[in-house]
Amino acid sequence: MATAGASGLNFSRRTLFSSFTSLPWGLILLICGMAVIGVATLYSATFTNPAEADLPMRQATRLTAALLVLIFVGLVPLSVWLKLAWPAYLVTVILLIAVEFFGVTGGGAQRWLQIGPIAVQPSEFMKVTLTLALAAYYHKHWNDSSGGFLIHFPALILILVPAALIFRQPDFGTTLALFASGGVLIFLGGLYKRVIFSVAAIAVASVPLVYMFVLQDYQRERVDTYLAQLTGQSVNVMDDGYQIEQAKIAIGSGGWTGKGYMEGTQSQLDYIPEQHTDFILTVVAEEFGFLATSGVLLLWMLILGMGMVIAMRAASLFGRFAAVGAVATVAFYILFNVAMVLGLLPVVGVPLPLLSYGGTVMLTTAGCFGLVCAVHLGRDEALHGK
Amino acid sequence: MINRQVDALFSRRALIAAAGGSALFGGLIARLFQLQILNGEKYQTAAKENGIRSILAPPLRGQILDRFGRPLASHRQAGRASIVREQTNDVAATLREVAKHIELSEELQELIVRTASRRAAFEPTIVARELSYEDFAKLSLRAPDIPGLVVEMAQTRSYPRGRDFAHVLGYVARASQDDMTRLTADVSSDEGNALRRLFKHPDMRTGRSGVERFAEEWLRGEPGWRRVESNAAGRIIRELPSDDTAPKPGRDLHLTVDAELQKVAIDRFGTESGAAVVMDIETGDILAFVSTPAFDPNDFVNGISQADYDLLRFNDRSPLYHKAYDGTYPPGSTYKMVVATAALEAGVIDPRERVYCPGHYRFGNNTWHCWKKEGHGSVDMHSAIKGSCDVYFYEVAKRVGIEKLAETSRKFGFGQRWDLGLHGGRSGVVPDNAWKLQARGEPWFEGETLNVGIGQGQVSSSPLQLAIMTARIAAEGRLISPQIIGEGPRPESDIPFDEPLDPDFMRRMKAGMFGVTSEWGGTALRSGDLGLGGPRLAGKTGTAQVRRISREERATGILKGDDIDRKLRDHALFVAYAPHDDPKYAISVIVEHGEGGSKTAAPIARDIMAAAMQMDARRTPNYMRTASRLSGSSSGGL
Repeated sequence: MATAGASGLNFSRRTLFSSFTSLPWGLILLICGMAVIGVATLYSATFTNPAEADLPMRQATRLTAALLVLIFVGLVPLSVWLKLAWPAYLVTVILLIAVEFFGVTGGGAQRWLQIGPIAVQPSEFMKVTLTLALAAYYHKHWNDSSGGFLIHFPALILILVPAALIFRQPDFGTTLALFASGGVLIFLGGLYKRVIFSVAAIAVASVPLVYMFVLQDYQRERVDTYLAQLTGQSVNVMDDGYQIEQAKIAIGSGGWTGKGYMEGTQSQLDYIPEQHTDFILTVVAEEFGFLATSGVLLLWMLILGMGMVIAMRAASLFGRFAAVGAVATVAFYILFNVAMVLGLLPVVGVPLPLLSYGGTVMLTTAGCFGLVCAVHLGRDEALHGK
Repeated sequence: MINRQVDALFSRRALIAAAGGSALFGGLIARLFQLQILNGEKYQTAAKENGIRSILAPPLRGQILDRFGRPLASHRQAGRASIVREQTNDVAATLREVAKHIELSEELQELIVRTASRRAAFEPTIVARELSYEDFAKLSLRAPDIPGLVVEMAQTRSYPRGRDFAHVLGYVARASQDDMTRLTADVSSDEGNALRRLFKHPDMRTGRSGVERFAEEWLRGEPGWRRVESNAAGRIIRELPSDDTAPKPGRDLHLTVDAELQKVAIDRFGTESGAAVVMDIETGDILAFVSTPAFDPNDFVNGISQADYDLLRFNDRSPLYHKAYDGTYPPGSTYKMVVATAALEAGVIDPRERVYCPGHYRFGNNTWHCWKKEGHGSVDMHSAIKGSCDVYFYEVAKRVGIEKLAETSRKFGFGQRWDLGLHGGRSGVVPDNAWKLQARGEPWFEGETLNVGIGQGQVSSSPLQLAIMTARIAAEGRLISPQIIGEGPRPESDIPFDEPLDPDFMRRMKAGMFGVTSEWGGTALRSGDLGLGGPRLAGKTGTAQVRRISREERATGILKGDDIDRKLRDHALFVAYAPHDDPKYAISVIVEHGEGGSKTAAPIARDIMAAAMQMDARRTPNYMRTASRLSGSSSGGL
């Protein structure tokens, strides 16, 4: 056994049990705490509607399953993840192409792929596998800081291919999320400042062009609504604007301490569509007020910060990039969702990890934090074997 | 190890990224502060005034129509006042205000306050339904000034034919706890919860009995949502367009019955209580399904008072009871065709063989009596049916034996529950050895076979079964599929009834039944003429004993008429088909405590039959006409 390859060595050095006990349990506990807050909120959001009465229970079941996924991903040695990075990326891109041809349409977009009894959303997998691929790429090719900015081109292509495919579905939110978390990794990869500033300038300049020529009608409508409510115009109450307006009323009427658990009139009277999925934060804000809501955001910052600390401690570039990429993926979910709920971004349909009802985001979140755990366990491995 | 330069750059960049992320989070918290604290007051007011709500809108229940499209169960508008707790500070004060305009007793006010306090604040509680026009107008006018009061027109289930179809249709009522359990028994928990929520709506009703219960899902429809805008007090200011969320009304259901024939039949019964079933021999369509007296299902829609319910429940003519379907009676002499068929099938008697009837029959140590004290003399099968000779059938039943009798009875449709798609229905009893061992724990005695031979004793059947038997005889053994739902959900056992019956034997039975009404010595000679100048009716009388006739009574002469209490008098039965030479309709009639089949039941059956033929009740129903027009094929005929 001792003569086995590097990855095998790593694995045999620890027993499964000692790996298990060495997991970052503080982080995992905080994640579980967030999940409990999620189920309680979901209960409040759904209890007046008997048709949704069993959603909290289902959510709890899914959370338990997600926790197992997290631990499983965490226990897989980092070296194995490094080996899996490219194949996983390729498979996900192939799945995305398959969605293009065989996908199931839902809600105006073709996102789902029916495999036997289960419907999968490859765009969600992409968030994790892109992180892995970029981490593997920089691990291998970034040897000194003088590599020039040309080494970032392949990384950009790694992002652009899936982003283009997902944009075609169309799924604007996920496309943005890929660019955002991929961009963070390129930024960490040492892209020259002057390039960063130029890209930023070009991006800002191209916004009107994207709006006019790239966006679909319904996406454009959302942006219009968004701009209208940002500037304080009254918006059509029956459409997206209605949702934002109702969400703002729910949140705003919460005050410092909220109206009390299950007492939120907005939440209980079904004013807010999707309040148990994307708009779950309105329930927290209305019923528990500013203190608790900002507490939830701070708890998230704490969790993400712990992830960053784990990333910084890793000996390998793969570990660092993977962990930061995972943290960034979850962070952008949260940022997009909260900004959307608070009326700062158009309604792009991004859920709030661990709080929103839904299985896909939960799986992505579990995968991301599982990866962070794997980095934690493999923090001393340099991963030069390759 | 990582290149030192790379390490430093990465760490620097990671810190910048973390700082940037924290800044974004900080920005969100700032925005939260802005919304919740700085602008909190504005949004709190907005929340209170928040205007747009989705209100559950129950579906309109489907209508039930007769074969010619006449509504048997439909809707009418009824004014209604209700109170929504969250829209008023003081429910009691609101009710006192309401009581100034309409009659509302203090007890009722207290009850409403208690009911409302148990409900969710936004659920309406009914204050008054079935408002008179004046009350509705008065309250509507004042409603804007009375907080929490909602006055509206609602659709209420209505049964335009009143009592005529009480037992067939059943009735609808607010779903009770039991109803909820039953309605949600076979659905997923999601659907169950949605149903529970729906049935809590004050306008929602569920079928409690009859077709209303059987076809619940067919009739129910799907609920939708009304979007309404309301002011700060919660009063609805205007309806917003909500076509896409509108409820889907339930489907209409067509019965095979003819409402006019049903009415004629019920009127013909007058004050008698009893049942009648008229069937189209060719299609098996039930054209009239009468059980009288009946209750008025309209009384049940909004809940019937205990006092009124007790009046129905303890009425000795049992108006709540579906006598034609749930009632089982000894078939009496109408059963003699079954016994004769069993004998022919078993080959135990030649139809020409003569049996001597001296008015009584000895078996073992006992004596059985013929209804005709002086006896029929020598009779063959034909004259035995015609004159309904008991002695002949004692002898035949003894030869056939109970097991064979039971077998033939089942072929005629006795002993099984006919699932027509009405709630209820009884199978009656076809006794045999196994049945008696199970029911009574003792073996069959041969003496009992003699009683069964004249349709008394343990054997029992419903008027529906007698009509089916008659139809099968008239159709000379052809298959028959009794049905009352013409277009609607099919009952589970929706299969034609096709036990083999020998057409030759059936022709003998028909000849006997023709003799009953049309030959010298027939027991219902006066009822053979339909008064239509031609076609005659063929039938068979029967009397179902309500109690045993004691030896003393027999010795002192049988008591009749007014001498005995009504409740102890025998039931009168008559089964018939017409026209005798080309049978189209079959009928069975039972008059409870009507004493003799020929005296009370046969004239009623004849008049109903004449009406059916005059009205041509069996002509193609409306729903088949549209169906054949739409699909280009007819499912009618054979």
